Amino acid sequence: MNNPSTSSGHRTWIPRIVVFQCQYSLYCEADQRWMDIQLPQHIKLIKAPCTGRIGPLFVLNAVQGGADGILISGCLPEQCHFKEGNLGARRQLDEFRRFLTYLGMEEERVRFVWIDLSERGRIQQELADLEETIGAIGPARRLATRAIPAGENL
Amino acid sequence: MYKVLSKADLPRLIERWMEQATVYAPVRQGDFTKFEPLSDPAQADLHYAANTRYPPKSLFLPQSEVMFRVKGGEFESTEDEVSSRVILGIHACDTRALQLLDGVFLAEDYQDPYWAKKREQTTLVVLGCADPCETCFCTSVGSGPFDKRDADVMLIDVGDEYVADVRNEKGQALFDHLPDASQEQIDKSRQVQAAAAAKMRKKPFEGEGIKDKLYGLFDSDFWPRIQQSCLGCGVCTFLCPTCHCFDIVDEAQRNERVRNWDTCMFRSYSLEASGHNPRPTNMERTRQRIMHKYAYFVELYDEIGCTGCGRCVRYCPVDLDIRQIIRSVQSWEEE
Amino acid sequence: MNQLTFAIRQEAARILEENIVDVVIGFKAGILPLKAQPAFITRQEEAEKLMHNGFCQNNLASYLTRRPKGERVGIICRGCESRAVRALVLEHQHDRDKLYLIGVPCTGIIDWRKIEREVGENTLQAVEEGDEVIVTTRDGEHRFQRADVLHDSCQRCLHPNPVGADIVLGDPLPEGDPERAWAPVLEFEALLPEERYACFVQEAERCIRCYACREACPMCYCAECFVDYTTPRWAESMITPSGTQAWHIIRAFHQTGRCVSCGACERACPMDIKMTYLTDKLNYDMGQQYGFEVGASEEEQPPFAAFTLDDKNRFVR
Repeated sequence: MNNPSTSSGHRTWIPRIVVFQCQYSLYCEADQRWMDIQLPQHIKLIKAPCTGRIGPLFVLNAVQGGADGILISGCLPEQCHFKEGNLGARRQLDEFRRFLTYLGMEEERVRFVWIDLSERGRIQQELADLEETIGAIGPARRLATRAIPAGENL
Repeated sequence: MYKVLSKADLPRLIERWMEQATVYAPVRQGDFTKFEPLSDPAQADLHYAANTRYPPKSLFLPQSEVMFRVKGGEFESTEDEVSSRVILGIHACDTRALQLLDGVFLAEDYQDPYWAKKREQTTLVVLGCADPCETCFCTSVGSGPFDKRDADVMLIDVGDEYVADVRNEKGQALFDHLPDASQEQIDKSRQVQAAAAAKMRKKPFEGEGIKDKLYGLFDSDFWPRIQQSCLGCGVCTFLCPTCHCFDIVDEAQRNERVRNWDTCMFRSYSLEASGHNPRPTNMERTRQRIMHKYAYFVELYDEIGCTGCGRCVRYCPVDLDIRQIIRSVQSWEEE
Repeated sequence: MNQLTFAIRQEAARILEENIVDVVIGFKAGILPLKAQPAFITRQEEAEKLMHNGFCQNNLASYLTRRPKGERVGIICRGCESRAVRALVLEHQHDRDKLYLIGVPCTGIIDWRKIEREVGENTLQAVEEGDEVIVTTRDGEHRFQRADVLHDSCQRCLHPNPVGADIVLGDPLPEGDPERAWAPVLEFEALLPEERYACFVQEAERCIRCYACREACPMCYCAECFVDYTTPRWAESMITPSGTQAWHIIRAFHQTGRCVSCGACERACPMDIKMTYLTDKLNYDMGQQYGFEVGASEEEQPPFAAFTLDDKNRFVR
């Protein structure tokens, strides 16, 4: 397994994460501000009006572009600003992850997070957790056919 | 000049060529062959009688060709990324097609540098068809299984050997050191050619007068009828050795300007930025396809733009047959 | 002429004569021995051109979205074609009232590739005789067991009988075996991830982006396909792993809950690329996850259109 790391367990490579975020899913202002301003360099944020807008094409584009991990953050079913947007997304994105896994991608690379309005700090937790998981499975190997070499912009 | 090459010696000859050039030959891939650069002479498959599915025009007009790159803000040309090449085992129909395409790409007023350099650097060692297929109709469009007009060398299979008809200096450079063919071998090669001509299926149509008949039929009911089963895919155009339409795209993500094959059978081909489409339905597009090959090309270059290779006949998903269409054109009477 | 052809001609002539439809879509004898040509007849006298046999390669439902709007269409439908018609009606691509389905229980399509693999490219004649297919080439006669040379999708077919037809010509056939139908998907899944990816790459790299698969598919009817989008550029038109893999992945995915497993895509492909292992997986998942099968019902929406609040506990992490 291609997983460069020192013997102490620290990674020597930085996973590239792409976050697709529904613009309403981070109700807590502090969380949203963190995402807008304090997001680390290796995490790229793309906001959409609703997860319903985030189709498989977005995910595939990120996968092919070389994203090591993808996080999709949306609202809980009853809390969608557009009523049903996130419901449509869930079935499609769930199946799309299953499909990419069928083609050899590691299932852990794509993660969905449905955040309750009242939750705080969840997104940072999830990102940290995702990074650790990705760190363990290594950089994206398959399907990353348009990957730009490390160091350049995603 | 006629030389002789024993089949047993072919791998060694290929190896010799490989010292100076990249050698392409049909290589077996699943159920069919495709022209690939050889890393080992044993890869060449010259026994498979049928043609490659994917046309060798791709070696001169690649399906995706990078025209230039931009690296660190600097323009980087790709014109000179061509090396010396030998194409072994190309059929007469495909060779003829390259000659027809020269009319397009090496015109008086403009020479396409990408095409020109490749043509210059390539020697064509044509393998004549001793066993023409059922779908071949090269004789109807002014060519034939052993049409050697455009070959640098024409190989005729006479059993354990090939008789090589060396046509010019390019060919000589590859075959000069081989022994001359005996009169007996030359006679045998002529017999093979005559036999092949006899094996060719009876001509499905006569090439004479098609252009005028087609022009006369432009507004006819003929076209709405025959286009009904056409799906508007790109199989016929992409497999066709004379089709040459392309689309130029700036791929920003790759910092490259690329030329890709395009097909007149797609709606988007003639779709203009305003939204207007001069060929709005499949009817106009199907009509255009036939007329480009058998009328417009004749108008421009005085040659039929089809070499009768039969790929479109064989691989059309709905069994449309251009031979049948041309026959119908010729016998069509307006009501 | 076989019984089925006779019955088709009669019925086609009748519905034209009685002005029930404006056109009948079926098949007529092809040029190449192992194929047939789609036929479009508008007059009763033309009905004698029609025929039907195992060499009829295409899914005729793909013509429904190509016909002029408002036209009343009679269409010869086998199992998969009739389910595609149902799916198209569900997606409002046609009015059921303007369709007349002449149903034909299907014994499968003969795969010309399997025959040519054995006897070479120059068949002169091909006929079906009972359980056999007799092919004549320049070297003489060759006999095949029909069951051996059916197209892969037909060998795995679950529903050979037409659904929702206005008339059915012929006796019903037994349904297919689900285990056989899904075996290739399960076998593929059992491979290691790197093996699966390697298979996918190997199939996709032959692709020449001719889009014959898309055009042959009854469910691909978008006026503008995602491959033609330039902003964003989802799938570059270049022949590259990126563009081609995106094409295969997304085309299959756009068929989720819509694909009728007819295999027309594979039959149309000039480069012999396998694709049904992708769509079959998606169909399998729709069955497993949502109990859905395309064409089984006239009203049930495909899963991606039928999301509900009840889903909420399904995907909670």
